[in-house]
Amino acid sequence: MSYHFGRGKSKWIPYLMLLPGLLFYFLIALGPSMATAVYSFTDATGIKGAPIRWIGLDNYREFLFMGRASVDNLAALQRTLIFCAAVTLIQFTMGLIVALLVNQKLRGTNIFRTLYFMPVILGVVIQGLMWSLFLYPLGGPAAKLLSLLGMRSEFLGGQPAEAFAWVIFIQIWANMGTTMMIFIAGLQTIPSEMYEAARIDGANSWQVFRNVTWPLLTPSVNTNLLLNIIGSLQAWQLFLVLVGYRNGTQVLGYLIYATGFGQTSGSVSSSFRQGYAAAASIILFLLVLVIGMSVQYILQRREARILG
Amino acid sequence: MSKKMFSFLSLLVAFAILLAACSSPAATGSQTEPAAAAGGDKVTLRVLVHQNPPMVAFMETFNQKFQEKHPNITVDMSVVNANDLSTVSQTRLSANDIDVLDIFGFANGAQPYMKMVDSPNWQQLIEAGLLMDLTGQDFLKNYDENAIKDAGSYNGKVYSINLGRVIYSGIYYNKQLFEENKIAVPTTWPELAAACETFKANNIPCMTAGGKDGWPIFVGAYGLIGAMYPDQAALVEGLWNGTIKWNDAKSLEMWTKMQVYARDMMEEGASGIAGDAAPGRFASGAVAMFPGGSWYAPAIEAAQPAFDWGYIPFPGSDTAADNQYWFGKYDQGWAIASNTPNKDASVLYLKEFSDPANYQAFVDAVGFIPTQPTAKLNTKIGADIAPFLGNFRVGYEQYWIAPKGAGQFANPWASYFKPFGTDDDPKVLADKVQADLQAGLDAVK
Amino acid sequence: MTSQTKGFRKINWSKVGSYAILILLAVLYVGPLFMLVNTSLKTMPSFMKDATSLTTSLNFENFSEAWTKANFPKYLLNSVLYTVAATTIYIITAVFVAFPIARKYIKFSGAVLTLFVIALFLPPALIPQFQLILNLGLYNNPIGYIMLFIVNPIGIVILVNYIKTVPKELDEAAALDGCGYFRFVWSIVLPLIRPAIATVVVMHSIGIWNEIIAPTIYLTNKDYYPITRGLIVFQGVYGSNWPTLAAAVLLLTLPMLVLFLVLQRYIVSGLTAGAVKG
Repeated sequence: MSYHFGRGKSKWIPYLMLLPGLLFYFLIALGPSMATAVYSFTDATGIKGAPIRWIGLDNYREFLFMGRASVDNLAALQRTLIFCAAVTLIQFTMGLIVALLVNQKLRGTNIFRTLYFMPVILGVVIQGLMWSLFLYPLGGPAAKLLSLLGMRSEFLGGQPAEAFAWVIFIQIWANMGTTMMIFIAGLQTIPSEMYEAARIDGANSWQVFRNVTWPLLTPSVNTNLLLNIIGSLQAWQLFLVLVGYRNGTQVLGYLIYATGFGQTSGSVSSSFRQGYAAAASIILFLLVLVIGMSVQYILQRREARILG
Repeated sequence: MSKKMFSFLSLLVAFAILLAACSSPAATGSQTEPAAAAGGDKVTLRVLVHQNPPMVAFMETFNQKFQEKHPNITVDMSVVNANDLSTVSQTRLSANDIDVLDIFGFANGAQPYMKMVDSPNWQQLIEAGLLMDLTGQDFLKNYDENAIKDAGSYNGKVYSINLGRVIYSGIYYNKQLFEENKIAVPTTWPELAAACETFKANNIPCMTAGGKDGWPIFVGAYGLIGAMYPDQAALVEGLWNGTIKWNDAKSLEMWTKMQVYARDMMEEGASGIAGDAAPGRFASGAVAMFPGGSWYAPAIEAAQPAFDWGYIPFPGSDTAADNQYWFGKYDQGWAIASNTPNKDASVLYLKEFSDPANYQAFVDAVGFIPTQPTAKLNTKIGADIAPFLGNFRVGYEQYWIAPKGAGQFANPWASYFKPFGTDDDPKVLADKVQADLQAGLDAVK
Repeated sequence: MTSQTKGFRKINWSKVGSYAILILLAVLYVGPLFMLVNTSLKTMPSFMKDATSLTTSLNFENFSEAWTKANFPKYLLNSVLYTVAATTIYIITAVFVAFPIARKYIKFSGAVLTLFVIALFLPPALIPQFQLILNLGLYNNPIGYIMLFIVNPIGIVILVNYIKTVPKELDEAAALDGCGYFRFVWSIVLPLIRPAIATVVVMHSIGIWNEIIAPTIYLTNKDYYPITRGLIVFQGVYGSNWPTLAAAVLLLTLPMLVLFLVLQRYIVSGLTAGAVKG
């Protein structure tokens, strides 16, 4: 039996201390998000004093079934899934490998760690600025490198598929640092005696990883997988700063932002369509929820099996 | 983390909360400023503008002078990015936290022949009663009547004074390269095409543009849309009621030319150039032409002050007479919040701004094509613009609202063509564009 | 252990391989950063002429211009205040949420965790959130602004997962010693989960520090502006002053870089956590 802090009156203390965090969460995150859900059934504009009408499922119908726009929306949805799969797979693997490398007793690992984490510190806007300069097709460093090999590329301005691939690459580049840090934090919790014991038993590096590191890293594996999946499903800011709203590259998150704030093209003024944007974000929410919760369920069962 | 560090942090928090709590009355105080009924009362005038550096610099000087003249008024001007302007206008109007606001020229108004479209945000703001009716104000007389009507009125009432126009449909050209290669400045499409061939034969790239952002390619080809459909408002109506199609014979000619423009005229690599970088690329002297908006002139001058360039209407038509139009839009304007407690001060502010001398100084600083008939555009580009200014037309996309359900290709954009997009057959593309539009028209029937 | 000498040779070989990979990867990170630094040292005309060429002069004026024009001295304090206050409040509340969940000391701890995990998926709620702050009377008020940043479900998930690795026997020992709940979490659990706390602090504070949209919407009084709001001077609707902007963002990044470097030590010192275990 696990021990419960406090007896009698004081057994409520854990609840009491938990309360502020929970209240803030309801007030600032859950409450407004639920309001978004309500908005999605209306034609709300978000303007004070403007009438709000209940229009049922019209927004959802428009997003999913109306004309060609819905076909484009579903294409964006498919692209979102591709983006998620590619980013998660590569970022997770690279983050793990790099964490293992910099967690060794080597000189200079601090420098590497800081360097790899740097994009996270800089934020999306600066990441975009840096890569736009680096990938500048007329005389930028990457273009020069390619021309040495007798090749050329328009990089972010190339064909949509190529631009999309570059955004995947930069997304991984930008966020691998977080994955790495979480893995490092996880690696730090593994007591060194465990490694020593395994070594004494004659295990080679791979076996040590397989039988000690990997199972004991389970909590970090779970956190990272979940964060990578959710993060990449919701990602859109890099698309904004790197390629803009271009046909053939949009993901769902960007689509929502662009319709909600009317930035689908250069200089056209558009309407406030909070209701419609809300419906689109609820659709994304449901998608992320279903995928995320299934992954979470699988991971938790796996964790229970491994860590008991 | 040590205990010490935590107690230090908690101290900081306590300090932060204390500080915030103490300063909050001032914040709420400024929101509920008492109405300045008498002229002598202290007033803080809250002004919102979008970020356009020369304009902001001008406004700072103007505010200084305004405050000196009216010592009871303090101007509190805040600046936001153009992309955030509509969102911030909306939130600040909701919070009654604004007196005078910057608003882009009224465009994309819902027309009777459009079905199931949402009103653009300026209409939504007016309908919600958030913008003050300026009809009958003295200072309106200083402005061009058409500008007031086209860019600042709704249902016969005036809600905004518009401060200037910009042009999309011009081409900047490198005078030295034209002379060296003995090429005359083109006035028709065949001349333009021939000029490009000559330049390319001499190993000079013909045109550059910020292809990476997509829209500069579309805006650069505006002259092509304009040459086919000089009456842009009629074009929009025709598209909505089906009398004009993006795949009819006339449009097909436009698409064919657009492909030449995107594929043959643009320099190799243009699809990777950012919108910001294009003026610099042109000013470097390496490229003969740069199709783009009048707003690029200051950037070209900043990059290379000694560089000699000219600005001509994009010759999209085979007949020279059809290539003497400017297509563009109304840029920023002023509006007053209807809930302002500082109505008199706000009106006074616009009145002073509209004074012809102040307005001229504004135009000189910002480089807009003036909306006050007495003002002149004195910049280098102004001289090139002037001859055709009588033929200024508001561009198609300032009228256009896509029907709900229309696909993402339902626009006349040259950027659909390779290398900017994926298409390389004008006929196929024209059918795709019309199909995407038709899907929307059918959906809202 | 087949042979000690073989092991040594293997370590050396893997060392070389490790360095090779790390350095190769580092190039990918240094390159773009170098472009940013290069830009920050250029003059505007030379940037307009050729954005990517090596700068010919070291134009440090960009940095002093960025410092004064973006109002760094004044807005820096606000940024620090918001970041420190919000992060501290968040971390304290988050630990007291995460600990009982990880330990199942409350009923329905699984459900409560799920609630927080769901928060990871929540759609953005810009307008409702704005209306909430407005109706609370906290619009254009630092307290309202700080409130926006005291929720972060990712941190809870990280903390819960980390606390699970702290041996539970400790709790029992502490309880037998008569240690109260609050004191136990505060003075025994907190130091043990330093690596996770450091990670969450870094992630959370970076978000607040770099936030651009929220200050534009929630703070209209210039006295309350954080430093990101000051950067707008270098942007423009028809083109930005990239060199000065690059200098400004480098300056902006410095404090967060320092924070990371300081906390990185704590993350590393998490090694000792292994030694403390009962």
